[in-house]
Amino acid sequence: MSTEARALTMPERPVAVRARSRGRPPRSPLEEFEQVYLRNVDVLMGYFARRCHDPNTVADLTSETFVRAMDGFARFDPRRGSDRAWLFGIAAHVFARHCEQSAGGRDAAARLGGHRTLGMDEIEELAERIDAEREGAALMRRCARLPAVERAAIELVDLDGLSPKEAAQVLGVSGVAFRKRLSRARSRLRKEHESND
Amino acid sequence: MTKFTDHLWSDLAREHGATLMNADRPEPGRAPLLRRPRVLAASTLGLAGAGTALALTLGASSTPAFAVTTSGDGSVLVTISQTTALPQANAKLTAMGIHEQVTIDMASGVAAVSGPVTCTPAPGVSGPPVKVLVGTNGTQVINSGNTGAGTWHLAACHLTGDSGSGNTGNTGAG
Repeated sequence: MSTEARALTMPERPVAVRARSRGRPPRSPLEEFEQVYLRNVDVLMGYFARRCHDPNTVADLTSETFVRAMDGFARFDPRRGSDRAWLFGIAAHVFARHCEQSAGGRDAAARLGGHRTLGMDEIEELAERIDAEREGAALMRRCARLPAVERAAIELVDLDGLSPKEAAQVLGVSGVAFRKRLSRARSRLRKEHESND
Repeated sequence: MTKFTDHLWSDLAREHGATLMNADRPEPGRAPLLRRPRVLAASTLGLAGAGTALALTLGASSTPAFAVTTSGDGSVLVTISQTTALPQANAKLTAMGIHEQVTIDMASGVAAVSGPVTCTPAPGVSGPPVKVLVGTNGTQVINSGNTGAGTWHLAACHLTGDSGSGNTGNTGAG
């Protein structure tokens, strides 16, 4: 590969990109994607931390989501929906695939091979994050008896902080249908809570 | 950011940032109306004689074109009009049951030899032979004003195991 080719295909040092991209509009797709990453990485980690108890799995699934997002970013059109809704759509598929593979007995780390080994401090950070999501995970357990579609509505809006419009995009339903679903889910939860008291 | 998210971004930018360097992002403004994708005859892009056309998709102007064709000898020809179409072509390979992914190295200037480049398989990769053709003759011209403006050719092509990362749309990607 020639020097010129390397200049075209190799990204600049990420730290430098981050330093330049703050406070002004992005000048390249990589800078644009970095802003998408910064806006969403924390909430996506939370999404996986509520589902997995292993820091390495949370790391793998978060990484896989962003790798897929990066591959598809050229086709992502923000005029059709928010980047958060788009990323949650990817995350849902990544997690579904993880569950399918886990059910088949395959090791997640091997399946998502290529990701680096985490340092101890990173594992501790992720373990803290999993711990911080305990309340969210408990809410999800309380939602266990709700239909899956209503459970997803509660989680996306009340735990992940998506707007009803964004959550509707993730689930592929109309805004009206989604709001009905969310209202129904909250009502059922409230009734269940009252009956438990 | 935490150390994990900081390191993850560094890894993403280093290992996958190249795929974004030439990406054509949608222009700001009103979203275009959804249109059904058009399927054109292979000859329209000068692909006549390449074999059985399995996919040739042209969408809106921002959607890059690609084609994946098989020849009688079992080899596969991946044709991309621009490098940003490579992820879509890789997804097509996966959809066809070919669990290898193509990566390419571009170099400046016009291709010394016109035509497709045969991919070098990574150790352990045992799929059918795969060739890649950029543009109609191996040369891609990026107009001035765009990232990486100039004339480029496909210098090398590699075939690696499928990492499982698919293409994504705006909703329900995976």
